[in-house]
Amino acid sequence: MVKSQNLLTEVESKELLKKAGIPIVEAKLARSKKEAISVSREMGFPVVLKISSPDVVHKSDSGGVRLGLANAAQVGKAYSEIVSSIKKAYPDAQIEGVSVQPMAPPGVEVIVGMSKDPQFGPVLMFGLGGILVEVLKDVSFRIVPVTERDAREMIKEIKGYPLLQGYRGQKPASIPALEKLIMNVSQFVENNPQIKELDLNPIFAYPDKAVAVDARIILE
Amino acid sequence: MFEEKLKELEPVFYPKSIAVVGASATSIKAGSVWVRDLRSAGFPGVIYAVGSSGGRLGDLEVFPNLRLVPGEVEYVIVAIPRQSVLELLDDCATKNVKVVHFFTAGFSEIGTQQGRMLEEQMLEKARWGNIRIVGPNCIGAYCPEHRIPFLTGILGESGPVGFVSQSGGIATKLVTIGIARHINYSKGVSFGNGIDLDASDFLQYLAADPKTKVIGAYLEGTRDGTRLFNTMKEVARVKPLVVWKGGRTEAGAQAAMSHTGSLVSSAAIWSAMLKQAGAIEVHSLEELTDTLLIFQQLGHGRGTRAAIIGGLADGGGGNSVAAGDACMENGLKVPPLSSETRQELVKLLGEVGSIFHNPVDVSQAQFRGLPTLFKAIDLVTRDTTSDIVLVQEDTDILLPIYSRQGLEEINEFFIELGARQNKPVIVVLPSGSAEPERLQIEQKLLKGSIPVFCSMERAAKAIYGVNQYSCWQEAKQGRL
Repeated sequence: MVKSQNLLTEVESKELLKKAGIPIVEAKLARSKKEAISVSREMGFPVVLKISSPDVVHKSDSGGVRLGLANAAQVGKAYSEIVSSIKKAYPDAQIEGVSVQPMAPPGVEVIVGMSKDPQFGPVLMFGLGGILVEVLKDVSFRIVPVTERDAREMIKEIKGYPLLQGYRGQKPASIPALEKLIMNVSQFVENNPQIKELDLNPIFAYPDKAVAVDARIILE
Repeated sequence: MFEEKLKELEPVFYPKSIAVVGASATSIKAGSVWVRDLRSAGFPGVIYAVGSSGGRLGDLEVFPNLRLVPGEVEYVIVAIPRQSVLELLDDCATKNVKVVHFFTAGFSEIGTQQGRMLEEQMLEKARWGNIRIVGPNCIGAYCPEHRIPFLTGILGESGPVGFVSQSGGIATKLVTIGIARHINYSKGVSFGNGIDLDASDFLQYLAADPKTKVIGAYLEGTRDGTRLFNTMKEVARVKPLVVWKGGRTEAGAQAAMSHTGSLVSSAAIWSAMLKQAGAIEVHSLEELTDTLLIFQQLGHGRGTRAAIIGGLADGGGGNSVAAGDACMENGLKVPPLSSETRQELVKLLGEVGSIFHNPVDVSQAQFRGLPTLFKAIDLVTRDTTSDIVLVQEDTDILLPIYSRQGLEEINEFFIELGARQNKPVIVVLPSGSAEPERLQIEQKLLKGSIPVFCSMERAAKAIYGVNQYSCWQEAKQGRL
């Protein structure tokens, strides 16, 4: 079901994105419990640990993610639990270790992705994250290359747009930051035709910026 | 832009000579019908009939082979079995034919390897012989200006609307509905399998064609999505492009590993492509023809504030309420009339049995004579709170009240009203029991440049769609 050589790990994906100027929450690979703890101390708590394996596509489904780890003890425990959960769920998976990243403060959750259409080539997708995408499929598409106007329109087009403008006490998201992110992703996929699919999910959007909390890149 | 396309495709729409291959002197063949239709339509160029039977078709000689045709042949219509098409292409090359239209079917559309291979061989021969191909498996060109009819001799009036269709059936409907609703075409084409000249080529031609002011298209797929997308972007920049994409449901979704991949669908991508290109997407034959009619008559978006005359004699608020709902649900605004206009209307028609809010009901006019009715409609039209006037005219109800003569006068008034002032006047003429009379009124109004719709919903939807397009265009220009 999964091809290991085509799926980049979160750490690898984020490295590529960072080079392309796309804002990401930096993730570091820790190959041992000890390393995980030292990296966490360096980054500052709270942190998030996620399984790092080219064979695991859906990390949270099989106990591969632990959020809000506030100290070294929690990090250590989480490391063991993650590795054993994944070993149980995917006995043949090649496990590199875990990715460690700072826990991002909550913002408006959005998703930006790319998929290749057989007729029109790379297509970008935008949507509000979580249930809004999964159940309501409230998403918009544009064909690469995506202009500034396209980016603006594809954001405004979704039904959940009012949530981006701030709703019921939640802070609004920076539309210009999201537009810029979308255009950067467009440029990124244009420059890298070997990328087959891409998910930036979730992106947390704040009043002043938007950052990809998780990233998945699949190569041809 | 695309000026070179005008020269390249001139033989398709303005051929000086046409040879129909597959005509017979002895039996009824598609080719023979084509020859007959071209002649009845009054095609001004030279027509040649080619068929193995030889002999004569009427007063025309039937040449057993294309090579035996004495004069120049610019355009060939092919209605012979597919087994003979390759040989025919050789003959066309010998005769220096510019364009060959294959009505013949049985190629890639039937899904066989043989069909696809045959198309490849046809293309090879065409390239070698410097020939362009329309089709195969299509009805080909329609050009009223040059007296080229569309299948079974249908020939409408010449006008500003161009169309491009991947389906012959849909193309035929576009032509016949055009005749019924006075949507007049500059050119149209059914291009079928499009192995050589395809949607992009014809769209480019229509974009450059000075006779075409708005373009409609029916598409199901494309061999070169990027070229189509880029073409549409350029075309939509210069003329309104209205596209109906058929075949919206997915045959089989691809297995995708990304979240994004699992959410894409062909229909969603096509919609995005059309939006991004600046085309108007429609979802049915009705929507397509409604939108083309509005573009033809109104030219561009004229606003969305509607003054609705919900009943000319209906004497009921229900129809007016329904009319108002239909407009608002389809994007139009229905602002109240100004108090001045309302006061004038009260003076004219009295307060009882009338509604002057908007929608307006002027039923009381039936007791005060036609001049009063006309004055009331005039008042509503002149009110500055609206951009468009929509009139609901129910033939069944009006006929007994006003009689044929009265109805004639009322509709002449609408035609004159539309002509003497700037605000578009649109009539909604729902069907009922008085069909023959309704049809006559419809034809009269359409001839008089008044757009006619069979329902308020359809009228409102088309008006809104055209207006959205204009707003989009303006916003785009504003940013440049």
